[in-house]
Amino acid sequence: MNSVLIIQSLIGGIMMGAIYALLGVGFSLTWGVMKVIHISHAAFGLAGAYIAYVLLNWWGMDPVASLVVTTPFLFVVACAAYRILILPITRSKEVIVSSMILTFGIAIILENLLLLIWGPAPKLLTPSYITDVVKVGPFYFQYPWVVGFVMSIVGVLVVHLLLKKTYTGKAVRASWQQPESSQLYGINLKRISMITFGIAVATAGAGGVGLAMIYSFEPHAHNLWLIYLFLVVIVGGVGNVLGTALAGLVIGIITGLSLAFLPYQWVNLITFGLLIVILVVRPHGLFQSEV
Amino acid sequence: METVRRASRVWFFLGISLVATLALFPLFRPPVYFLSFLFQIFLYISIASAWNLIGGYAGYLSFGHVAFFGIGAYATAMLSNAFDLSSVGTLLSSIPAGLVAAVFAAIVGYPCLRLRGPYFAVVTLCFAFVVELAVKNLGFLGGPDGLWLKGMALPIAVSRSIFYELMLVLMLITVGVSVWVGKSKFGAGLRAIKEDEEVAQTMAINAPWLKLKAFALSAFFPGVAGGLYAYYLTYIHPDIVFEVNISILVVLMALFGGGASWLGPLVGAASLTVINESLTTFVKAEWARIIYGCLFIVVIIFMPNGLIEFFSSRAEHSQTEPEAHPSGS
Repeated sequence: MNSVLIIQSLIGGIMMGAIYALLGVGFSLTWGVMKVIHISHAAFGLAGAYIAYVLLNWWGMDPVASLVVTTPFLFVVACAAYRILILPITRSKEVIVSSMILTFGIAIILENLLLLIWGPAPKLLTPSYITDVVKVGPFYFQYPWVVGFVMSIVGVLVVHLLLKKTYTGKAVRASWQQPESSQLYGINLKRISMITFGIAVATAGAGGVGLAMIYSFEPHAHNLWLIYLFLVVIVGGVGNVLGTALAGLVIGIITGLSLAFLPYQWVNLITFGLLIVILVVRPHGLFQSEV
Repeated sequence: METVRRASRVWFFLGISLVATLALFPLFRPPVYFLSFLFQIFLYISIASAWNLIGGYAGYLSFGHVAFFGIGAYATAMLSNAFDLSSVGTLLSSIPAGLVAAVFAAIVGYPCLRLRGPYFAVVTLCFAFVVELAVKNLGFLGGPDGLWLKGMALPIAVSRSIFYELMLVLMLITVGVSVWVGKSKFGAGLRAIKEDEEVAQTMAINAPWLKLKAFALSAFFPGVAGGLYAYYLTYIHPDIVFEVNISILVVLMALFGGGASWLGPLVGAASLTVINESLTTFVKAEWARIIYGCLFIVVIIFMPNGLIEFFSSRAEHSQTEPEAHPSGS
């Protein structure tokens, strides 16, 4: 096999993995900080993609520029959803189980709202540069892939810095490490949880736009996205932002390589089989968890 | 005390008469639609009750039970086609098919049951995907074309009645096993594991062995149900019998009713199937799904421990309140 082709496929895989990492960062945060498994995370990402689609087709707004509208909108929606829906269940004994069922209900509702509004046909984001290609040496990269990749790297870094440098981010980390004593230091746990959830869903929207840049999407697409989310988050270690990013790259490399050597239908089999093996051998992720 | 005993006798009598009515139902020559509809309810009750053995009693949420259902369906189809079995033989072959599913469960469960909480849920979900993809890609299992079974050479009303009765029997056995496990020492061990696995192990409960037994047992009945379902459809395809939504639906059914008792999955499966069917009959499909999703949210927020516990605690309240006054009775 041609080595250029293998490297090309590898880099494509890495780009895809980075976008899944951006989608997964928020999922990892809600799981780690709030102990909420947010099944509708990918569905919110899909909603972000549809909003970008509308903005592009009605006003010709570039998908990346449309994030200025999408992420604040999703942030507000998520904060409202947290107040009305998630907050009542965070006190129950089995938060994980109840949050899974609750957010599964939200995912069903979102999916069918998208289906009602846009119908079942797959959609594609068509910015003006969709056919452009970047040529580096012997490798060709489609412009939308490069844009999605760069956007994801920036997005993950922004979330990382937000957690490390700002007061709110430090409060998020503190309330994750010690929920009770952080409250003694004057951290409003409810407010912090709400902001965490809002940030998580906003990054999901950005990740959804990123995935929409490289693949077509339809209302049911979030189910497969969700599997990849679990994969990225578990491999990276729950709650570990940089771990999630690394896991995205690792999975991208594996997917890219298996795409180069195997027929397409075996790729998902390899990925899921790998997840099972990783879960059984190292259930807390490949990377050391650092809050 | 006397009233409690009388109440439980009344419930027992009601249950027996309900089962008898259901068993005699095909004799009244109802439309085939009702037989198929009840068949579906029995199918879901039996899978949800079996799921509850590991998911409800032991608290290990398996999102991969559809894999066992599908394995049972494929095992029956392969056995029937390989040995060219008669109708009775095919129906009976669903029992070895259930055993095949249980063996798969034991092999998968041995490493995976060490994982807890969401990790176990994810690994079982992935297992379901892997099995589906593998079956789709393996030529000797029909691959993406699926498998055909020889249909019964009987009029449709008769064959549907036979399937109806068989599924009723399977459901009764599954619910019976669920009741028995709930009352036995085995069930008590599983509940101890749910409460606190470390403490359970210090109390000389062999947690890994109990979990493995419960997991294999809870895979057996979906396997048998899958075998019957395969012959019922006479055509199986990975997209039908490995549909991941079945997995999730079963979990929701059991938790909707309440996983702590055998009654929960029964009520949950029956009510969700009826609600789903009536919604899709009367409302546009998308709206039906939206209402369905709202239902989950409402149930989780207002009755976090399931329907059964919600209503039984209500009933207890209304019963205990008069007793607070010593002058009463």
